[in-house]
Amino acid sequence: MNVTTRADLTAWLDRLAERLTLIAPTAVEDQLLYQPVDGSSEITFDFVKTDLPVKEYFLPATHALLSIERGKEGIRLEEPTLEEERVIFGLRPCDARAIRVLDALFLEEEPVDPYYAERREKTTLVGLACQEMGDECFCNSLGLELDDPSDVDLMLTEITGREAPEGGYAVRVVTEKGKAILSGLMLEEVAGSPPKLAFRGQTPILEAEAWPEHFDDAYWARLADRCLSCRVCTYVCPTCRCFDVRDYETQSGDFERLRAWDSCMAEGYRRIAGGHNPRPTKAERLRNRFYCKFCYYPRDFGPVACVGCGRCIAKCPVNVDIVEILEDVATLERV
Amino acid sequence: MASNKGWQNPYRPYLGTLVGVEDLATDIKMFQVELDDPDMRESFTYRPGQFAFVSTFGVGEAPFCLTSTLERGPTLEFAVNKVGTVTGALHRLGEGDVVGLRGPFGNWFPLDEMRGKNIVLLGGGIGGAPLRPVVHTILDNRSDYGKLTILWAARLPSLLIFTEEFDDWRAAPDTELHLTVDEGDETWTDNVGLITELLDQVAPSPENAVTITCGPPIMIKFTLLTLEKLGFTRDQMIVTLEAKMKCGMGKCGRCNLGEKFVCTDGPVFSYAEVCNFLESF
Repeated sequence: MNVTTRADLTAWLDRLAERLTLIAPTAVEDQLLYQPVDGSSEITFDFVKTDLPVKEYFLPATHALLSIERGKEGIRLEEPTLEEERVIFGLRPCDARAIRVLDALFLEEEPVDPYYAERREKTTLVGLACQEMGDECFCNSLGLELDDPSDVDLMLTEITGREAPEGGYAVRVVTEKGKAILSGLMLEEVAGSPPKLAFRGQTPILEAEAWPEHFDDAYWARLADRCLSCRVCTYVCPTCRCFDVRDYETQSGDFERLRAWDSCMAEGYRRIAGGHNPRPTKAERLRNRFYCKFCYYPRDFGPVACVGCGRCIAKCPVNVDIVEILEDVATLERV
Repeated sequence: MASNKGWQNPYRPYLGTLVGVEDLATDIKMFQVELDDPDMRESFTYRPGQFAFVSTFGVGEAPFCLTSTLERGPTLEFAVNKVGTVTGALHRLGEGDVVGLRGPFGNWFPLDEMRGKNIVLLGGGIGGAPLRPVVHTILDNRSDYGKLTILWAARLPSLLIFTEEFDDWRAAPDTELHLTVDEGDETWTDNVGLITELLDQVAPSPENAVTITCGPPIMIKFTLLTLEKLGFTRDQMIVTLEAKMKCGMGKCGRCNLGEKFVCTDGPVFSYAEVCNFLESF
């Protein structure tokens, strides 16, 4: 395996930060977030997972699709472009897998979403293997490994002991894109392979085809009784991708057409002009979220739209627990 | 069309100009759009049943069915009921104003497969809008289709749309137009009652027939039940559905009925398909 020391790694990251946008886990007040950093000193290297995923770097919470200028010659539409090249460092395998889940819809399903595609193309992903599973983590139940390299461009696994007495990382080059940013990183060939990391527990995940028979179960109404429709589960989810599009006036008096995250937990999400709402109850909306992840999305686009990061469990104020739900659904009788 | 990095940008509307705006009914106007780019005007094709997003810049965009046919000319027509922010802003526009247009999106009515069959169209209120291009296609190719029976309904006489075309429709060979309103007024001499009552009364034969229903969800549901009672099979019943949507391409996630998207799998469905959806419309 190729090994770099922690000191060499930080020197390489510092140089990367000088020539492009380096996004890495960093402490922002009491939260750990992927944010642009000026150098390695701002990066948190030892963590379980961040409070928010990296979704916003590909599908921003709010961004302009078009600027709309009303001049003498009429309406002029401009599409903002993203100038910067970016590296996201310290991506956990679950968050990397979530990007692949979004790729299935925004890149692989025609038509390509040009805003997503541009951000994706200009971003190189550097993974950092997990050292342990967090309290709410269940990624292994979704087929992930703690050092899964399949969704990143470079994969790093922290090593200690004889191979790296002062702390170091095993570096695996996964893609050409990863190789392209590698220059300047001091690597040493060392015998052996990165340590395999241990898993904890298995949550049963029903196949997409088995979900429809539980659709009319009274379970969903009972579950929804405690849901507050606060939508936090969809905002912190690395794969929830529903959006709204609206025009807003800018300070200069022109307009922007903005795309912003939306949530299927919202009462008005499906309501049509005239007031009819095909999903009028909280139970139907909550059920939709789980069916979208484990039944609709895999049937429509391929991957299961859950990566087991457990953020929705951690952030839900009333303990709607996706692991508990998956366990419950696996035991429901056919309705 | 300019776009980032050579990707066609499906979120970027074409610019168009309103070449006509006319009142169809109370709070319902017809907007006639001509695309500004002559090449686009030439190459823009669509089929009856498809929809497009119309933008009023600075307010937003919303999806509307194309209520015109290519066969009758290049002007794109939309019938818009004033119910919300975007439709309210559209209603304030007039001839010469600029709009944006994205589309066409969605599937279309199987008009080729419908050749040789008797056609029953059931339109409720603004739901008549997607049926007008079907009427036009049948009237313009009259010998290709069997008997045409149109049941046209609205809450009030003042809410009936395309009234100026009724004489043409009635005058066409082998074509019947039946009207009904929930509540008549002093000048109304035609049927009063729900479209389901009218349907019971007209009782079209299911023999070699296809029906298309569009209207408010509650009207669609009861109309389909009445059609079933009259002996129509679920395969013979076509519906076109409405949903809140923001992209038209299956990405925004908003218009799903179970695993189906109204925007890309529809908006045209057979009742047989709809019955298999996990969620009701």
